[in-house]
Amino acid sequence: MAYTEEELKKELETKEYEYGFYTDIESDTFPIGLSEDIVRAISKKKNEPKWMTDWRVEAYRVWEKMEEPEWANVHYQKPDFQAISYYSAPKKADPNKKLEDVDPELLEMYKKLGISIDEQKKLQNVAVDIVVDSVSVATTFKKTLAEKGIIFMPISEAIQEHPELVRKYMGTVVPTTDNFYAALNSAVFTDGSFCYIPKGVRCPMELSTYFRINQAGTGQFERTLVVADEESYVSYLEGCTAPSRDENQLHAAVVELIAMDDAEIKYSTVQNWFPGNKEGKGGVYNFVTKRALCEKNAKVSWTQVETGSAVTWKYPSCILKGDNSIGEFYSIAVTNNYQQADTGTKMIHLGKNTRSTIISKGISAGKSQNSYRGLVQVSSRADNARNFSQCDSLLMGNECGAHTFPYIEVKNKSAMIEHEATTSKIGEEQIFYCNQRGIDTEKAIALIVNGFSKEVLNKLPMEFAVEAQKLLEISLEGSVG
Amino acid sequence: MDLKDKLVSSFLAFENNVDVHNPVHDVRTEAIKNFETKGFPSKKLEAWKYTSLNGLQKIDFSIFPKKESSLEYKDVKKYFIHQIDTYKIVFIDGVFSSNLSETTHDGVDICLMSSALTKPMYKAVIDVYFNKVASKDESLTTLNTAFSREGAYIYIPKNKVPKKPIEIIHFSTGNDVALMLQPRNLIIAEENSEMQIIERHQSLTSNAVLTNSVTEIFAAKNAIVDYYKVQNDVDSASLVDNTYVDQKDGSHVKVHTFSFGGKLLRNNLNFYQNGERIDSTMKGITIIGDKQHVDHHTLVHHIEPNCESHQDYKGIYADSSTGVFNGKIIVDKIAQKTNAFQQNNNILISDKATINTKPQLEIFADDVKCSHGCTIGQLDEEALFYLQSRGIPKKEARALLMYAFANNVLESVRIPELKVRINKLIANKLGVNLGFDL
Amino acid sequence: MLGVFRLIKITLKKEKNNKEHKSSDKMLKIKDLHASVEGKGILKGINLEVGAGEVHAIMGPNGSGKSTLASVIAGNETYEVTAGDIFLNGENIEDLSPEERAHNGVFLSFQYPVEIPGVSVTNFMKTAINESRKAKGLEDMPAKDMLKLIREKSELLEIDRKFLSRSLNEGFSGGEKKRNEIFQMAMLEPKLAILDETDSGLDIDALRIVANGVNKLKSKDNAVVVITHYQRLLEYIVPDFVHVLYNGKIVKSGTKELAMELEEKGYDWIKQEAAV
Repeated sequence: MAYTEEELKKELETKEYEYGFYTDIESDTFPIGLSEDIVRAISKKKNEPKWMTDWRVEAYRVWEKMEEPEWANVHYQKPDFQAISYYSAPKKADPNKKLEDVDPELLEMYKKLGISIDEQKKLQNVAVDIVVDSVSVATTFKKTLAEKGIIFMPISEAIQEHPELVRKYMGTVVPTTDNFYAALNSAVFTDGSFCYIPKGVRCPMELSTYFRINQAGTGQFERTLVVADEESYVSYLEGCTAPSRDENQLHAAVVELIAMDDAEIKYSTVQNWFPGNKEGKGGVYNFVTKRALCEKNAKVSWTQVETGSAVTWKYPSCILKGDNSIGEFYSIAVTNNYQQADTGTKMIHLGKNTRSTIISKGISAGKSQNSYRGLVQVSSRADNARNFSQCDSLLMGNECGAHTFPYIEVKNKSAMIEHEATTSKIGEEQIFYCNQRGIDTEKAIALIVNGFSKEVLNKLPMEFAVEAQKLLEISLEGSVG
Repeated sequence: MDLKDKLVSSFLAFENNVDVHNPVHDVRTEAIKNFETKGFPSKKLEAWKYTSLNGLQKIDFSIFPKKESSLEYKDVKKYFIHQIDTYKIVFIDGVFSSNLSETTHDGVDICLMSSALTKPMYKAVIDVYFNKVASKDESLTTLNTAFSREGAYIYIPKNKVPKKPIEIIHFSTGNDVALMLQPRNLIIAEENSEMQIIERHQSLTSNAVLTNSVTEIFAAKNAIVDYYKVQNDVDSASLVDNTYVDQKDGSHVKVHTFSFGGKLLRNNLNFYQNGERIDSTMKGITIIGDKQHVDHHTLVHHIEPNCESHQDYKGIYADSSTGVFNGKIIVDKIAQKTNAFQQNNNILISDKATINTKPQLEIFADDVKCSHGCTIGQLDEEALFYLQSRGIPKKEARALLMYAFANNVLESVRIPELKVRINKLIANKLGVNLGFDL
Repeated sequence: MLGVFRLIKITLKKEKNNKEHKSSDKMLKIKDLHASVEGKGILKGINLEVGAGEVHAIMGPNGSGKSTLASVIAGNETYEVTAGDIFLNGENIEDLSPEERAHNGVFLSFQYPVEIPGVSVTNFMKTAINESRKAKGLEDMPAKDMLKLIREKSELLEIDRKFLSRSLNEGFSGGEKKRNEIFQMAMLEPKLAILDETDSGLDIDALRIVANGVNKLKSKDNAVVVITHYQRLLEYIVPDFVHVLYNGKIVKSGTKELAMELEEKGYDWIKQEAAV
């Protein structure tokens, strides 16, 4: 008998989370709960300058008065912010030590993650900064980058070593008051990455950060700041995993990108936080604010492959402030079982001749809900703005949902906006055709999903694309891997 | 007193003029309670994000006309499709005008809501249909329900087709400084019946008018209903139109909305497909300028399998006008083999004009074909030059291109005289005189 | 030591070959096959034997069940086999999934090839070949060999290389689709190729290319079943046997002259004969 859709569904359900292991590293964890004292304690623990402490406290005070947003098409048990520990550092971590000194168990964990640091160094030319729970553990390749004047380090270090840069740019794209989770992050972020590419420099390698929530009952609030000075270029990769746990874990990150005149930033994310089990228990709440500011002739591309998290709330956006600036958003979001994703982008056209492209591919299976939510806004001054958006949904089975909520607001007569959306399923005749050529149903589905997602997969850097393809298969097919 | 309070307190006066023992009045009482709780929708509501009723609420509208008026046919003839013979249900300041109307009970009922709501012979029909598809939750709909008393009542029995199209026209005369009207229409097409309706709201003065209209349409098995809304009112008149359509197996309902005039127009079109092989069509042409505001809100709820829906809205926005399109398609889990299409194309011809559009899909079934497309752009400069090079002046050339842009919406208009009329309205709106009809 | 081992291996292989040959001298054997779709009987007792090295043509008027027969042999589950058996090299294939049948050498050239957006012809072929190899316990074909094979076979079908990077069948013309089917056949080297109305939608040049491809792929070890409504294709792919399918049964069998007779006289006389 051939593989039926029913059997496939069953297999999908029994599929366990690939990265669901827990590394036993001694952690230095704060007591649970959030107060101004905790915020001050985090700052103190990290030996931060006063301006940073004040910034955090101010954000905390704003956050206290804010309410959790409810407009997204997701339903979940609201996190209890007093039941989370806001700081958890692997005890033996010391940012200044050499790679060889790293906790062997941590190294083992990187291996399981498929990011053997040595290997990355040698083969892939990728500089990696790894954030486990809340503290950045090791940054490779620092020297090579330093020669070009590129700064790539944990943000906690950058606060110490380059306070003028951090102070100048942090919070300028995503203000502390921007939204509930951004405010929370501003108050309690413990680490993240900082990257500065000097004027005219083309970063010779992909920069990469891996984020991982390890400790139970902790939240992860990382903060990433990438500044590309005039005429510079950088490609930045971000990977995320978390072990499987029964309780929901909270991840509320803020990513700010600044592309100055003629600069280009490519920001790619493969997000594979634990999605919860097949009953919908556990999983990560992924509430992320990502935004880029584009100056004159600058270009920012967001590419994301979202396969994990129980609940995702994420809209990587571009403020196209400078004339001739370009914003791009390429996204694949896969939801299975009880996952819920509400994701998309905002393209804010302020400058003249600004262009944006949005390609979103949503794949829903199981009992999941997958929403695209996007805004294309053209201000009255943004002459000759161009946008093309395409939102395609693929539904697998009859218990999931696909939703599109595109908002288009135009105040300029010279704008050209095109938006298209389609919904489809995998056809039985497509499966039979593949079967007849000797391809089994599981592989056929992987092939068809890959084809559906191709325009986005093509945008990923090579080594990431392979990983992303693998993730797609894992999320949807079960035994492949 | 703000408009909401005025309306709620007017309900007591309203009750003095209707039979409070009629079961219909229980429906009204429920409705006013809902409105009292909810009030007018604010911009905080997602559905009203782009349209504000604040300005209108500041106007001191009369809830009931102060006195009855009459009009001579010759003075208002131009508002009718007078080239053809039609049934006419005409109201002046919300009151039925028998001398302008032509109603009938000859095999079909084309008459008044006030009769249907009060006369025993209609009770059975009213019990089954009245307020059955209209929302019991949406505040403006319930406001209308609370004050429902007058409007058009059309009942076409099984296998019947009325001899001619039906025109429903609401005139306002300006006897009141500001007048609020709340017509309530009930339209029932029984199995295999067919009808064509043209609806129009027309103010004859520059005094403010706010119309909050609710129409319920029931299309039984294989029934065909063509509904044309001609919105070309003066710039002191505003309209909130709430149309609810309940469709059964094999029925075809088409609603065309032509929005050219009026201060603020809000069209809420809601289709519920309660059967299979249903076809629902919504088409619209919007051409506005000045500070006009037109908001099209559509909902198609695909509840059963094997149905189709088609939406095609074209908009041309000049001056400081604002256009809104919010189209929502919901496909339920069991509604397999649904084909749902939605298209919204817009042209902005002024730097001060704004278009906000939000085509939404909410899909819960996997074997469906759903798509939406939306564009915002300008007239094709090359095409414009081509026409000019053939000797057509720029203004006419632009108008011609705009015609072409809107043309496929007109194609499905099945009353030729209406098509001619709409063409003239478009030419008038574009300020040109084209020597041809499209 | 090595020599002995080799000898044994060769002997075993020979024995196996003998055995297969003995169990059935025919590549494809269909016995009293009945099949229906949604409860409606379409095939009503088909008997057919196709030997290695042979070309069979199955002709018949529209709706006689030709395409159904092709689909049933390939294992399409839309059709229910209600009675009868299909043997491939002596093995009953009833319980085999479509992909297992493909791994055993069955190839169906679709009358309406299916579109798969975003999947290039090359990637599709790579997957298909490696899946077949996996089923046989072989490693993936090295990329170098794959490229060589693709080059070789695309030349055979006069296929432009650019064509291979396009999405499978998406936006292909009728002729391109059919040529792509035969290209896939060339790549997969099946034992039994069933060509379902491969000539429909082809102009004369494309028809010649396709037929030429099929002829070059023909050998004494494989067999071809050509399903067609017209005699046209059979001028290029000359059949050893011609069968006429009518109302779910093979009502007449003969040689290529039968095809010519059908072209001349149409199908009416067959219908009359069948009715008697």
